[in-house]
Amino acid sequence: MHFLLINHIQNARQSLHSSRVRSLLTMLGISIGVCSVTIILALSGGINKLIETQVESLGGNIVVIRPGVDNNITDLNNIQPQQKYTTSTLTENDIKYAQNTNHVQATAPIMILSGSIKADSTAPNNSLILATTPSLLEISNLKIKDGQFLSDNINKKTAVIGGQLSINIFGTESSIGKIITIRGQQFTVIGILKRTNNPVNYNSIDFDNAVIINFSDGKGLNSGVAQIQQINIKADNVSNLNDINDKLNKAISASHKGEKDFSVLIGDQILKPTSTLFRSITGVIVAVAAISLIVGGIGIMNIMLVTVAERTREIGIRKALGATNSDISWQFLIESLAISISGGIIGYISGYIIAFFISNFLIFNPVFNWQIAVIAFVISVITGTLFGIYPAIRAAHKDPIVSLHRYN
Amino acid sequence: MTDITSTPVIKLQNLQKKFGIGDAEAYALNGVTLDINKGEFVSIMGPSGCGKTTLLNIIGLLDRSIDGEYELNGQPVATMSRRKQAKIRSQQIGFIFQNFNLIPRLNIIENVALPLIYKGITRTKRLIMASATLRNFHLNEREYYMPHQLSGGQAQRVAIARALVNEPTIILADEPTGNLDSRSSHIIMEELSDLHKRGNTIIMVTHNPRLTTYASRIITMLDGQIDTDTKNEVIHKLEEEIKPVLSIKKRKKTIRRPRKRKK
Repeated sequence: MHFLLINHIQNARQSLHSSRVRSLLTMLGISIGVCSVTIILALSGGINKLIETQVESLGGNIVVIRPGVDNNITDLNNIQPQQKYTTSTLTENDIKYAQNTNHVQATAPIMILSGSIKADSTAPNNSLILATTPSLLEISNLKIKDGQFLSDNINKKTAVIGGQLSINIFGTESSIGKIITIRGQQFTVIGILKRTNNPVNYNSIDFDNAVIINFSDGKGLNSGVAQIQQINIKADNVSNLNDINDKLNKAISASHKGEKDFSVLIGDQILKPTSTLFRSITGVIVAVAAISLIVGGIGIMNIMLVTVAERTREIGIRKALGATNSDISWQFLIESLAISISGGIIGYISGYIIAFFISNFLIFNPVFNWQIAVIAFVISVITGTLFGIYPAIRAAHKDPIVSLHRYN
Repeated sequence: MTDITSTPVIKLQNLQKKFGIGDAEAYALNGVTLDINKGEFVSIMGPSGCGKTTLLNIIGLLDRSIDGEYELNGQPVATMSRRKQAKIRSQQIGFIFQNFNLIPRLNIIENVALPLIYKGITRTKRLIMASATLRNFHLNEREYYMPHQLSGGQAQRVAIARALVNEPTIILADEPTGNLDSRSSHIIMEELSDLHKRGNTIIMVTHNPRLTTYASRIITMLDGQIDTDTKNEVIHKLEEEIKPVLSIKKRKKTIRRPRKRKK
């Protein structure tokens, strides 16, 4: 059996080599399927790794309060990408409750405003106006490249801008002291943020393209109403997170008259909203992969049936020379496995090439791990076996006499 | 001289093979009883459709659906599993076909080595054995040719080499010279004759009466039955020789029936 296996593999290689174009076209279906699976796994692995590193770098002692109830359902009809366009249920009182809770070290509200940012030139659409308090620097691990962050001691209307935004509107990263016009009001730039290259984060803010102003100025721009998208809280210790969570829930619940229209998130929960959209995209690609694998498998079955028909006489000869039915079925099964596994290898490699190409436009790299390779391999083997078994059995049950005299 | 021992390698008893069912039922073989001994060179002749090839397929264990008894080397075939039959085909029987039946996508040496695969011999050893067999047929210079690059005579010699590579005891040839010119036919028949001299049992189906000169025994078939068998004639001749000695006068007769015209 061992010798036969090697022989079948050699035979399959020879047979695939002799009909290269056909084999390559057949492999294509499997390749596309495995390629999509590899892309998904490599990129989603990449984003998970990125988020993990973020959580670790923050020390894990962050609590976030968001408006609305955070449900983990990946319902495609009910995606809430960012609650930018709804009126927030969080109030300024909630910030105070948070500040007054035990073990809370710092609190920063996040208020995202829409509107134009102008200086020498108008900022591009992806730029963001963020109103917050000076504590954000500490909580979100922001780094200042030049100047200083917002401060309670400065009364003037001041702004801190992201490095990329500075280049976009001033043409330089040294824009301290320059005047920036936000929704018609003038602000003085007092600080430039160090580049983070990290638009995927728990604040859902690309700090490189943001202008940060004081919370009170933000309220001023918004007709005196605070529109709080999120409240970031830093605990003094990771062990106190649950305690803070309970207390905040109770306090805010009471002030919201018992309505559960907010959610307090700790640890990994913070990162969930970013991955909801990602998960739904993954779902779509998985569907594409599944369809192409099925189509690819049918392609294999089709080609193998053609091969069996073409080699009817060969089957007759082999049987006359002493091949058993199982020898014949193994021969054809291994040939279909050879097609699907080669297709899988091509798909795996091209999947990584595409994943790296895509990652040029993203802020994270695809991950390499053995699990992805094993999954790609297993998928190919299963497809090859599933769709190769029927042609193989058909080949084995050919009558040798009929086969031998078929083309006489 | 050929060494014909008395042990029958192949023993057929009232063998029948039907095609079709009900009204369309027809007999390809209708009561064939035949013993073939070790070392015989049997030539089976007869018109098309008389059941020669069917008989050969049954002897070669390719056709299982038969009535009657068939014993190969004393073992009844009917009780053997498919796997066992495949093993016997692999180890004891060599096939030679009219149209050579080489596998077109394999080169000559791989074609010859093919039967050895199913004996579980490693690739290197297979190729060495195939090469040695090809050398006997003076084809070792063409080992890496493809089948379509050979002439008919060469292809048939390759096919014979393939039939011999696993050293079978029985060689079944179905019209081995049917597709060859007379010169190639002669070479092929010399090869078969040579094998016969070395003690192999050969059963050859042919249309060509000239080829029967190589055979030690000639069987003619008609309508699924054995018409004449020279073995019986030999026995008869012996009887004829003995009878005068015993002074018993009898009218000379052969068992040969009037021969029907071939199609």
